[in-house]
Amino acid sequence: MSRVRRLKLVLWALTGLAAAVAAARFLFGLGATTNLSDAFPWGFWIGFDVMGGVALAAGGFVLTAAVYIFRLEGFHSLVRPAVLTALLGYLAVVAGLLFDLGLPWNIWHMIVFWNPHSPLFEVGWCVMLYLTVLTLEFFPVLAEDFSRLARVRRVLERARIPLVIAGIGLSTLHQSSLGSLFLITPYQLHPLWYSPLLPVLFLVSAIGLGTMMATFESHFTAWLYDRRPETGTLASLGGAARWILLFYAALRLSDLAVRGQLRWAWLAGWHSVLFWLELGLMALAPAALLFIPAVRASRAGQFTAAVIGVAGVVLNRIDVGGLAHAGRTGPWYLPSWTEIAASAGVVSAAALAFLFMVERFQVWEERPRDPEADPLQPPSLHPVGATWLGPPAVAGRTLYSLSFVLAAAVGLALLDPARAAGHGVQPAPVERARGGEVLWVDGNRDGYGTAFPHEAHQQREGGKASCVLCHHMNLPGDRHSGCYECHRDMYVASDAFRHDWHASPNGGRLSCRQCHRLGEPRSAASAQSCTACHKDLTPAGAVIKVRQYQAPGYADVMHRLCTPCHARRAEAVAKPDLARCATCHRERFVPPERRLAQTGEPGLVGKRLLLPPAEKR
Amino acid sequence: MRAAILTDTTKCIGCRECVIACKKANRLGPELPHRWNLEDGLSARAFTSVLEGPQSSFVRKQCRHCLEPACVSACPVAALRRTEMGAVVYDSTRCMGCRYCMMACPFGIPRYEWDQPVPYVRKCTLCFERVRAGGQPACTAACPTQATIFGERDRLIALAQERIRRQPEKYVAKVWGEEEIGGTSVLYISNVDLTAVLAGRPLDQVPLPERTRTAMQAVPFAFTGVVAAMAGIRWVISRRMQRQAEDGDE
Repeated sequence: MSRVRRLKLVLWALTGLAAAVAAARFLFGLGATTNLSDAFPWGFWIGFDVMGGVALAAGGFVLTAAVYIFRLEGFHSLVRPAVLTALLGYLAVVAGLLFDLGLPWNIWHMIVFWNPHSPLFEVGWCVMLYLTVLTLEFFPVLAEDFSRLARVRRVLERARIPLVIAGIGLSTLHQSSLGSLFLITPYQLHPLWYSPLLPVLFLVSAIGLGTMMATFESHFTAWLYDRRPETGTLASLGGAARWILLFYAALRLSDLAVRGQLRWAWLAGWHSVLFWLELGLMALAPAALLFIPAVRASRAGQFTAAVIGVAGVVLNRIDVGGLAHAGRTGPWYLPSWTEIAASAGVVSAAALAFLFMVERFQVWEERPRDPEADPLQPPSLHPVGATWLGPPAVAGRTLYSLSFVLAAAVGLALLDPARAAGHGVQPAPVERARGGEVLWVDGNRDGYGTAFPHEAHQQREGGKASCVLCHHMNLPGDRHSGCYECHRDMYVASDAFRHDWHASPNGGRLSCRQCHRLGEPRSAASAQSCTACHKDLTPAGAVIKVRQYQAPGYADVMHRLCTPCHARRAEAVAKPDLARCATCHRERFVPPERRLAQTGEPGLVGKRLLLPPAEKR
Repeated sequence: MRAAILTDTTKCIGCRECVIACKKANRLGPELPHRWNLEDGLSARAFTSVLEGPQSSFVRKQCRHCLEPACVSACPVAALRRTEMGAVVYDSTRCMGCRYCMMACPFGIPRYEWDQPVPYVRKCTLCFERVRAGGQPACTAACPTQATIFGERDRLIALAQERIRRQPEKYVAKVWGEEEIGGTSVLYISNVDLTAVLAGRPLDQVPLPERTRTAMQAVPFAFTGVVAAMAGIRWVISRRMQRQAEDGDE
């Protein structure tokens, strides 16, 4: 199999995986498919897809400027692929944005509802306009193949220079405005990244990246299609790029130094490591490589520098777009696999579109020949059945769709059903209340609970006879079942009815007919209620009444038990404070064991008194 | 009238009646699962919370309703706006879900309905409909100790300063929200330093929208400048190339 076909198989698989993720994303929402939270409202999709994507597409305006404005005709062969990359790159940005927006169907609101104070408003408008400009700039290439479009092509070619100039203006604006987005976050963004110069820094790094991206693309596709790379042209492009990158590094460091923030770069911690890694990758390392003449002229050297530079700028955009806000906002964020899969799929789809375009249209000076069409190539066989798949084009389609569908199926299988449902309440198992006279009611042991004077309540309500007011007397031979025995989760209802036990000899060997009526479906809904047999479940005067087989969450049920009585009593004795939350929830509860360890104060655990350890003599 | 809330943490007993009143008034459902929430107790289903501040004080957290709000300046579709009376409110029909407001807010107030397939931004509205009808917000109405009170902003500032002046040994001589980032409608006075609890870090007096204003005002000039420069450069270089070509011909 040729390199192109192998690459396309991978790209189709990634697109298939992303299709499965997209289905989950748009059906179940952001919470089901991302690790975003109130602490991290922006994550990988904004950092990589949108901010990184816009930067990666900067090659378009950099090379059109070089060729049509500065008249550096030597770069002419790089213009068409760069414009195509920009066009597809911006389409990918819009696709990534649709994934990330909470209400993507409202994306057009930006056209109607204006807020010119917002940098994001400006970015949105510029991207829309620039996408139009790019389409018009690239359209003549498509039109070359269709004689009917000749007139449109002539008009667009005459409009080329104004289009190029408009494109440069729009790019300048939104590349820098992506930096302006964060001018409003001086307190959230780490000082190594926050700067009043953010828009300028973003623009300069985008220009540098434009050159790196053009280099990367040329070399990668040359390897892919066995094409001759434009090494000579790219060497002179690298000659310009090194100065831009060096200027960027100098600007960034001197800005930090002038504002007295450079000290952060020397402090130990992951922020400073990240800062140097990022600056090294995006500017220092590629610039240093390109300053060595032998490296600048060689294919491997150019490619290495470009890959490092591209990775560095993407890292920078991810940092500013979210990562460098961490640590200052508290919790941590790591993208989920679904987020990464969606981004990879969008990029893969753009790459497939790129490959289609260069194979079908005159993007390079010579169209690449299809390696599969070589009659001396061995025929493609079905990966499972080993049957002949037909001529190359047909075989390709079969293999690609197979790869897409398989990957989509894998993606669907991997989706976490609990997260997809969107309502993943964490299980919080409940433990028994501890203590003797005074019970520490703190089911999930989070330290927030209440001290309940059990003994005092019992005496006030009339001694032993009053147990039934609050406790169910449901287990045979049981005098007082604790709340935790049935209400087993803090928030979620748990099943209180043990079906198999009721049918067993110990449970009375009940027949089906005793609970389920004949001719009705046997379900919990149609069964008769527990109180039909358990007459003492809700005795007269009981506060708690059993209504269902499901025991509601512990927190819920404890409130329902205490608050009605308290409200009534508050009115009866005219003490309104009795019905307030603070009557019971008075202070953060420290369990006796911990209090003993902290303060040396003795406390009761169950019926055992904990005493401070005797001092060693 | 410029509506405002003054919270005096020395009077707060931490009963969380305000939290419950807010939940009832705004018909907020059960809490979101923990993994989407911050530790501060605010969420898409809780517009206010009572935090434990330093020295076992209680601090009520809610939207500060800035006089020059960062969220309003950031929203690209103007879904957030500041009403005349001072409440910063949200129009869900305009929102497109970009969550830039959540990034922009220095207090981390706007929260998102992460569990919903059609999610909206949620935050305190200063009960602006109740206030417009002549009432006061649910939280201040519920407070049993008058620790959090509703009123005219200037009057509340005067009251706060009066309290500080009367008992200088009890209060820290600062009204939080009077000046930082251009002033907020929700004010605090306390016996302890609240800077860390309220915003996590000291804020200066420059309103946040001010920080993007320069960059945004430069946009039309930058565009015209770049376009003019590009056209000029092309013209100059082309003419020079043409001359060179003519010279070569001769």
